[in-house]
Amino acid sequence: MNTINIRIQVNGSWQELAVKPDDRLIDVLRDQLDLTGTKEGCGQGECGTCTVNLNGHAVLSCLILAAQADNCAIVTIEGLHKGSELHPLQRAFVSEAAVQCGYCTPGMIMAAKPLIDMDAEASEGKIRQHLSNNLCRCTGYDQPVRAVLKAAKEIKEDTNA
Amino acid sequence: MNAYLLIDEYHRPQDLAKAVEILSKFGRKAKVIAGGTDILPRRPGVGKTHYIAHLVDISDLGLNYIKSENRRIRIGAATPINTLGAIAEFSSAPYQALSEAADAHSSPTIKNRATVGGNLCNASACADLTLPLLAMDATLLAAGPDGQREIPITDFFRGANYMALDDNEILLEICIPRQPENTGSAFIKLRRQQTAIDMAVVNVATLLTGSRGHCEVARIALGAVAPIALRAPGAESVLAGKKLTGKAISEAAATVVEEISPIGDIRATAAYRREMVGVLVRRALETSRQRCEG
Repeated sequence: MNTINIRIQVNGSWQELAVKPDDRLIDVLRDQLDLTGTKEGCGQGECGTCTVNLNGHAVLSCLILAAQADNCAIVTIEGLHKGSELHPLQRAFVSEAAVQCGYCTPGMIMAAKPLIDMDAEASEGKIRQHLSNNLCRCTGYDQPVRAVLKAAKEIKEDTNA
Repeated sequence: MNAYLLIDEYHRPQDLAKAVEILSKFGRKAKVIAGGTDILPRRPGVGKTHYIAHLVDISDLGLNYIKSENRRIRIGAATPINTLGAIAEFSSAPYQALSEAADAHSSPTIKNRATVGGNLCNASACADLTLPLLAMDATLLAAGPDGQREIPITDFFRGANYMALDDNEILLEICIPRQPENTGSAFIKLRRQQTAIDMAVVNVATLLTGSRGHCEVARIALGAVAPIALRAPGAESVLAGKKLTGKAISEAAATVVEEISPIGDIRATAAYRREMVGVLVRRALETSRQRCEG
């Protein structure tokens, strides 16, 4: 069996890993690094629950081979909190009741993060567009969208303070 | 672990010569990957494993760029589709169909990875980006063991998911010739559900160049109504060189149905596609006319 040696930065720390040619990024995150916050739903790029950030962009970790991510910086849901302090997005998803079963939540948050990092004044329409690849079968979409708006507002106020 | 994908070897050549060498060596056993959004998805309903002996990743070949030149706009084949939306020029009247197609293509998350060249090489009849590129008469630049060659986009698509590149060729670049300023283009996509990732039932792009109500150039491209995305020369000739009236536009739109061979599938019946293609062409032509006169 061929293996490929890759070096990826995951949640701030560099990891040297041996991966198989057909390991997807999600396989390596979950099975080698035990980062099970990233979920697999459909495996075909439709549900968005495997969304992570790669070099600051939202991407689907089921549609990227681990080998393709060589030398890239990856952030998963586990990389958002600082010590015991949750990220504003995580706090807002709790306070806006945007979580029911929770399966889609990591993907929703990782899809929203690059958007509000880039544009803390993103409109509701823009937020909906950026979450359009994330399916939720419990709460619907209003609560997650409200949560993202709230987190964006908090981040903007923090920046201005 | 995933059970549906089996890849023997992953190659990541650092230059074009090496990439072509690998493709030449493995021929049909090799497959090119850029973003991977067409190659990697699990195929619903397909029981067997998706097997690729040699996967050749072209992300390190420097094919991610957009260069705006005097006579043409050059897009690197491995440019992510999201990048198109950030180019102001593509929102101007002559090229607006391109930003509209990029917008309609899929979600921002997919478009961070999916590439312009991938959308072409997958050679799907409903690939959104192919239509504005057909309407703008783009030229494709490919490289193989004997050097580079240019392929007019109208010669590129050969059949369903089948295009003109040889096994040992790589698409390098998409060249869009500069359109005259008095040009307007438009893209419309009809889908079953208004979700970001739904594929087209029918999609069309049109482009008109004209002044004072006189049509100099008309180009009409149709998607999802034949085995390949194609131009509609019959309908174009109804408009080219004529007065650009609402009546002429309706006449041209009514003609396209003679140039297609739609099938019925999970997304729509052939009859529905036949009905809708004329409606979309008429609307796209009307928008193109407003834009070229604006």
